[in-house]
Amino acid sequence: MSTANSFIEIVGVRKSFGDNEVLKGIDLSIAKGEVIALIGKSGSGKSTLLRCINGLETHNAGTIHVDGKEVRANDAAAIRDLRQSVGMIFQNFNLFPHLTAAKNIMLAPMRVKKTAPQVLEAQAKKLLERVGLGEKFDAYPDQLSGGQQQRIAIARALAMAPQVLLCDEITSALDPELVGEVLRVVESLAKDGMTLLMVTHEMAFAKRVANRVIFMHAGRIHEHGTPAEIFGSPRTPELQQFLSGLGD
Amino acid sequence: MVDFSVWDVVRNLLLAARWTVALSLIAFVGGGLVGLILLCVRIAKLPGAERLVGAYVQIFQGTPLLMQLFLAYFGLALFGWNISAWTAASVALTLYASAFLTEIWRGCVAAIPRGQWEAAQSLGLPFRDQLRDIIFPQALKIAVPPTVGFLVQVIKGTALASVIGFVELTKAGTMITNATFRPFIVFSCVALMYFALCFPISAWARALERKLNVHR
Repeated sequence: MSTANSFIEIVGVRKSFGDNEVLKGIDLSIAKGEVIALIGKSGSGKSTLLRCINGLETHNAGTIHVDGKEVRANDAAAIRDLRQSVGMIFQNFNLFPHLTAAKNIMLAPMRVKKTAPQVLEAQAKKLLERVGLGEKFDAYPDQLSGGQQQRIAIARALAMAPQVLLCDEITSALDPELVGEVLRVVESLAKDGMTLLMVTHEMAFAKRVANRVIFMHAGRIHEHGTPAEIFGSPRTPELQQFLSGLGD
Repeated sequence: MVDFSVWDVVRNLLLAARWTVALSLIAFVGGGLVGLILLCVRIAKLPGAERLVGAYVQIFQGTPLLMQLFLAYFGLALFGWNISAWTAASVALTLYASAFLTEIWRGCVAAIPRGQWEAAQSLGLPFRDQLRDIIFPQALKIAVPPTVGFLVQVIKGTALASVIGFVELTKAGTMITNATFRPFIVFSCVALMYFALCFPISAWARALERKLNVHR
């Protein structure tokens, strides 16, 4: 699956927690601008794979390259550099509760890129408008709904101008009526050409937005293809079973 | 024999209480600084730090403060350092406070959800900024009530410095008793003065706790 112009290149990646091997040799390459949906049962290793890409987890074997640079979780300076081009959005938002929406967004550019305050504020305003929350500049996270918090978290990740966004089940903690507002933001990012790698349970969304769908099972990439292939004609019994289990 | 009025007793005790306050402040500020350094060393996961600091904490939590004072006063003298009771008490209480405070604060830092660290890391913030901007401000809110509560323990702990001859409130009470033969009056005054020092601090700790709970 290797291509010459791949932006993320994952080769033979293995990861164990104690005796439990959750990734059993993952090969995957992702081109710039691609939107990839990672699907599979919980425990299949999809979140772990995502977390290995930005060094939140240390893989035990294999290599991961992002934009030609190897991900080595034990090299603090290198991993900080990497994280400037790889944004991450979490299931539980993980906004900083003691900071306003705007400060959540401005903190990293202020500290890491040393951007000037006026520039930061203008940028924060623009990002908040982009996620449809222009009026929430001074709101604290606990004054916002889950959907709003997640949109702020997206704006916060975008503030570092990342080249790829990792989305780890970003709508799983949301009430059903709030899922749409978050997915619309993600879809607009995809349209703008952002490289997206998302672990998701929103199959309709994956079908509509993803270029490729990866089905993970028992620590391996079990099946992959276009949304039409994966959802239209699943080849393996595991994927068929997984997809039929979603309908209820 | 000289006659002591109650006012004489109170006046002398008040003069000695200054040293109780001074010793408490030294122990608390010094202990806070050392405790903070130990905390940073610990959460930075420097090699061996967790075990060393853990052992340090266990030693001070597992032995009586009185023994720590004896060891500081008599033990350092064995090495040829002739130190005053004042220095020995300051050193012992500072180390004692640092061990307790670093452990209290470690718990507060551990109470911050892992997602906060991960979000800070994912944004590429250096470790220093993760602590300064994300972890410490949140941990501080949790830390204030138990920290202020511990201040009360330190104030009462300074009473033990009397046994190595440091003249603070309790030692002054003993000396005045020896002169007046009115132990009940004298030690009642001593107890009242400790109470006058500690009660407002406890009340403040409770008020802070309520306030911080309301505003998260």
